[in-house]
Amino acid sequence: MTLHHHATDETLMRYAAGTLAAGPAIVVEAHLAHCSACRARVGDYEALGGAVLEETEPTQLSPTALADVLSLIDGESSEPTAPPAPLEPVQIGRVRLPDSLRGCDIGRWRWIGPGMHMSRIGVPHDPDANVILIKVGPGRALPDHGHVGTEFTYLVSGSFTDKFGQFKVGDLAEMDEDIEHQPIVDEGQECICLAAMEGKMRFNSFLGRMLQPIFGI
Amino acid sequence: MAIVSLGEGLPVPPADELARFVIAVATNRDRNAFAALFRHFGPRLKTFFMRGSMSAGLAEDLVQETMLSVWRKASYFDPGRAGVATWVFTIARNLRIDHLRRQRNPADLPPDPEEEPQTLEDALLGAERDLRVRKALSGLSPDQQTIIRLAYYSEKSQTEIASELGIPLGTVKSRARLAMNRLRALLEDEE
Repeated sequence: MTLHHHATDETLMRYAAGTLAAGPAIVVEAHLAHCSACRARVGDYEALGGAVLEETEPTQLSPTALADVLSLIDGESSEPTAPPAPLEPVQIGRVRLPDSLRGCDIGRWRWIGPGMHMSRIGVPHDPDANVILIKVGPGRALPDHGHVGTEFTYLVSGSFTDKFGQFKVGDLAEMDEDIEHQPIVDEGQECICLAAMEGKMRFNSFLGRMLQPIFGI
Repeated sequence: MAIVSLGEGLPVPPADELARFVIAVATNRDRNAFAALFRHFGPRLKTFFMRGSMSAGLAEDLVQETMLSVWRKASYFDPGRAGVATWVFTIARNLRIDHLRRQRNPADLPPDPEEEPQTLEDALLGAERDLRVRKALSGLSPDQQTIIRLAYYSEKSQTEIASELGIPLGTVKSRARLAMNRLRALLEDEE
């Protein structure tokens, strides 16, 4: 698949370093599943982590450290572990969602305005994560908004266009706090986005300002 | 056994020697090979975890967990995909993420990505990639190298780094961006 909108190198490095928050990491992972170019960069940044580790000066371990691990190994059973059960696809209604949402609580679609639905995603391993699915009808505008932190948006289905161009399935939109944009869903098909925010979203429209306290986003 | 010195007094086995140790652990459950890996990576991992603001005791616990995973997962090591240092780094990184998540919520943890099947399309020879990346890192100025290292040691924000180093946030941001751009350019030169 040829994608046109990718994660920034800073984000890919944070993902590889393991310091990207759980919510954004889920969205970035959804993109990585479709983007070999970004996967290759993550590979580079993991190798960079290896180089950093290799160059980290040693700190002496406790004298029994090795013996302790060896005795843990002795206690290990050599029984092969059962193969993992086949994984069910993650879905909302009949729409297949990215595998990176596995284990998350997918909320039901809720009406939030004409032609607009939202589902909140619960991330069990990070209760503070701000992750939503948003479904917007063809030709409609997503709520006009800026953000307090960076916003990561992955296109699950359909497409939208904003001043940065057209975003299609598999693309990742990464918008930092200075950016105000007004995505309009392209004609012909509704658009479903998976979005995570590092900070809180800052809506500009009246509708958006109404929603903010209701949904706590 | 060939030995290269880092000039720190500690002899360091070269990368292919480390790979042989991991393979010996995977195929023969070779404890001597495991001990060699432990002596090489254990003390580095301890510093690595401590730089991420962990206590020495907690860092040792995570060193143990990491090395235990090295023992258990040795058969997953694919020298075509990553060098040993990179493989050990990804194990340590995942355990650190799990640890931080357990602190927040002891309930469900997502499945370990290490256990998931890997795609072959990205398989640039692991050792080659490690060499290329190491060369790129050494091509950065000492300041830029420090910024990149800090990004791996902890999830400290640029704001925290700024106050720690006593320099304005704008300076940290522009330095980080310069370091990233330079690194990217060096990586692409080496391709």
